[in-house]
Amino acid sequence: MGENKSDVLQGTLDLMVLKTLESMGPLHGYGIARRIEQVSGNTLALNQGTIYPALLRLEQRGWIKSEWGTSETNRRAKFYSLRRLGRKQLETETRNWERIAATMARFLAPSE
Amino acid sequence: MEWVRILLSRCAALFRRHRLDEDLDDELRSHIELAVEENRARGMNEQEARTAALRAFGGLTQTKEIYRVQRGLPFLEQMGRDLRFGYRQLRRSPGFAITAILTLALGVGANTAVFSLINGLLLRPLPVPHAEELTLLQWSWSRDRGPNYSFSAPMFRALEKRHEVFQSVAGFSSNVFLVRSGSGNVEMPAALVSGQFFQAMETSPLLGRCLTPQDDQPGGGSTGFAVVISEGLWQAWFNRAPDVVGRRLYIANAPFTVVGVIPKHFNGADPTRRPDIYAPLWAEPVVNAPGSNIAEGYHMHWLRVIARRNPDVSLEQANAALRAATNPILDESIPDAKWIRDARSRHFQLAAEPGSNGYSYLRSAFVKPLVAVFSLCAAMLLLACLNLASLLMARSAARERELATRLAMGATRIRLIQQLMVESLLIALLGTAAGLITVPIVSRALAAFVLGNNRSATLDTALDLRAFAFVALTACVVIAAIGLIPALRATSKDLNEQIKSGSHAATARERRRLLPRILMGLEVGLALTLVVGAGLLATSLARLYHTGLGFDPKSVVNLGLNMGKQSLDGQPLVQWYQAYDDSLSRLPAVKSVSFAAFPPMSGSLWSGDLGITSSISVGGVYLNRVAPAYFKSMRIPLLSGRDFEWSDTPAASRKIVLSRTAAGRLFPAQSAIGQHVTMDNVSYEVIAVVGDIVYASIREGAHAEAYLPITQSEDHKPSYMAVVRLEGSPVGFAAAARSLAAKMAPEIPTPEIMTMSSDIDASISSERMMAMLAMFFAVCALLVTAIGLYGTLAYATARRTSEIGIRMAMGARRTEVVGLVFRENAWLVAGGSLAGLVVALLASQTLASFLYGTSVRDPWVMLASVLALGTVAGAASLIPAIRAARIDPMAALREE
Repeated sequence: MGENKSDVLQGTLDLMVLKTLESMGPLHGYGIARRIEQVSGNTLALNQGTIYPALLRLEQRGWIKSEWGTSETNRRAKFYSLRRLGRKQLETETRNWERIAATMARFLAPSE
Repeated sequence: MEWVRILLSRCAALFRRHRLDEDLDDELRSHIELAVEENRARGMNEQEARTAALRAFGGLTQTKEIYRVQRGLPFLEQMGRDLRFGYRQLRRSPGFAITAILTLALGVGANTAVFSLINGLLLRPLPVPHAEELTLLQWSWSRDRGPNYSFSAPMFRALEKRHEVFQSVAGFSSNVFLVRSGSGNVEMPAALVSGQFFQAMETSPLLGRCLTPQDDQPGGGSTGFAVVISEGLWQAWFNRAPDVVGRRLYIANAPFTVVGVIPKHFNGADPTRRPDIYAPLWAEPVVNAPGSNIAEGYHMHWLRVIARRNPDVSLEQANAALRAATNPILDESIPDAKWIRDARSRHFQLAAEPGSNGYSYLRSAFVKPLVAVFSLCAAMLLLACLNLASLLMARSAARERELATRLAMGATRIRLIQQLMVESLLIALLGTAAGLITVPIVSRALAAFVLGNNRSATLDTALDLRAFAFVALTACVVIAAIGLIPALRATSKDLNEQIKSGSHAATARERRRLLPRILMGLEVGLALTLVVGAGLLATSLARLYHTGLGFDPKSVVNLGLNMGKQSLDGQPLVQWYQAYDDSLSRLPAVKSVSFAAFPPMSGSLWSGDLGITSSISVGGVYLNRVAPAYFKSMRIPLLSGRDFEWSDTPAASRKIVLSRTAAGRLFPAQSAIGQHVTMDNVSYEVIAVVGDIVYASIREGAHAEAYLPITQSEDHKPSYMAVVRLEGSPVGFAAAARSLAAKMAPEIPTPEIMTMSSDIDASISSERMMAMLAMFFAVCALLVTAIGLYGTLAYATARRTSEIGIRMAMGARRTEVVGLVFRENAWLVAGGSLAGLVVALLASQTLASFLYGTSVRDPWVMLASVLALGTVAGAASLIPAIRAARIDPMAALREE
């Protein structure tokens, strides 16, 4: 693993998954993992496997749902999509994150 | 809300584990394939593409494991695994498992059975609405003995009118009615109840109506006396016919009209009775004919009084109101001014106490023995727990390396404790379940013991919620006791230290062995206490039985003849008795026949004062009215004079027979024969002196006694017991005697037949119950302790195999090895016995009131108990010691 990659922050993976599903529509686990890697520009040390417990957690909470379907290459895969409750959760989480990020940014800004 | 959804989804997952596992496998496989596809598209070959895909994925197995933990309920699943593991552990040592489960079953079963008795007798409220409003009334001479619960009819009637604090006040009395059936008269449990009784109980009838104050009038209501019958009687006699209301029942030859049926869950206000018929109080002179309690007025105390408070009135307020009403009620109900003055000077006082569980006279008699038995059972359970804790500790000590290794490899202490606890949990649950199975049988047998010769009483020992709560609590205590201590110890820190410092560090081991030793010592002490207690009770019982009774109860049967409701009286009835005597005498196997009003130890007795002149008299002489040949039938020695004869009619002079003690007290200087004694101003001629007998109870011993002939009785329609001495086979006697009675007196109920020995057994039923249970528990305690001593020593010795091997290799002789191992338990048993003896000496004081002719510090019992325990403990400890001496030193050393 490269030294310059950072670990995925606890809890942020859920938010990334939700956001990915919002912007991409129904997607399988591999697709979600690849999308997160691409968006982060390969700066994240993400084991693709960790996506699955996260997906299960979101499904247990009723935020996303899953069903079997076929991929663009005609392979059987499980597709996840956002539910209404998940959409609402994404909004709250996003607001939260923005607030924290802003606070952290102010905190870390070089003092004048 | 969110956690509910998560929990539900996790629970659902538990049941679809395999399906979901396959699903996950499919999903992960498709993930890898998609990745491989993409890598190939980028130009990698098959091998490279797959390796890259797997690397990007991370650990496949870890992912699955994390996923599964997230999906199901890992705690439950782990518990399931632990249970299976625990079960296998138990299966591996079936001897240990069976002992553990059986001892616990014994402890839990005995405790629950006795608790269900205590529950039925003392704790369970009456099945009526708002039972907490019920109040039991009592009176007392305030500076005298305890409360009295019996009221006379006039006093009850005065109480009944008062409604300041009570909604309703009810009087009741248990009775046995003689009811006419198709095949003659039968005796039936019944109750006399006052007009407000059903109002106070708030009982609604199954059919018809309940008795009301209008029914409780002299002569009954407008249509004569009404009765309410039980659902059981409605079923048995009327086959649940809906038109039973309005039908007639003949009780004591008088007509009563059935007005309603009471549902079977209601059994009146006495939890130990199940009346089939409820009749109004005013019917008492009819059902009790030829006698009458009501006619006796304020002299006869025969009614229990239960009242329902107004909902806003507290018990204290009710008490205050009763205190204030005491004097007006005395004035109103007692016509005798001297009696009232006397009562006031002795501070006669009415009072109220909680009555939610009704009233039973059995309570006062059996609270003490039941509590004593309950503590016996608790001691037994404690002993079983101590034993199991010791054994489990020894077992986990044998596993200490495994546990220490697991701790070192990162298992958490909680996880190990959980696993060890599951095993104890399994034992505790199996033991509790096995114990519960035996409860109904045991509690029924105990109830029969407690009730003794109260044949009309019953005790409902059904397991209700309260009993189950008790069992659950017991089980929890057991689990904590047998599981937690060993588990905590087995995983403690110094164990880890010990592994590091080498497993044979002697000081650490000595320290670690202190707790198991204390536990085993406690067990030995407790076992000795139980054995001493059992020894004392058994010695006392044996002495009771060996007390000379003064008569020979073997082969004597009593036949109860109820003559009160038939038509003969006076001399014709005496002639009937004589004729019945003759017919019985002709039956095969009958040796001699007589009659008596009160056979010894039948539960009832009659006493009076005998005098010669006004200055010399003997009070409280036990009296009996008997027929000729009574002394011969009972084998009471006739010391001098002659027996009664059928010719001693009322026309002849009054005759009396004295016992040796009575004669000695009345006529210390001369022969009593031919002398005269007076009783109630009637003079009697002494015609004989007979041996003393035990009359009221074995515990009481001999007493001054006197006998009057039935031929000179002035009572109306007296009922006597036939006292029959049989010889040889008694087969067929009961049937023949009953059919004779039915032929000669068709109106009387079938005579009840009891052997004299069973009457005697029943008269000391609580002593017998306690002694038998105590002996049973003592034997079990000895056995369990022996198993414990053997088991712990065997485990401990197994762990010392190499040490013993070294000792033997260095020249220790086999006898020395036996001594070495044996000594471990010898010290423990000696210490435990000493402690147990001290406890037994202190605790046996509480047994004093149950003991007859036995000192609570009987040295022989103490010595015998210590010897018994010592022998059993020695045998149990010798086996592992001898086995240790057979160790082959070379094999032992190689094993290391």
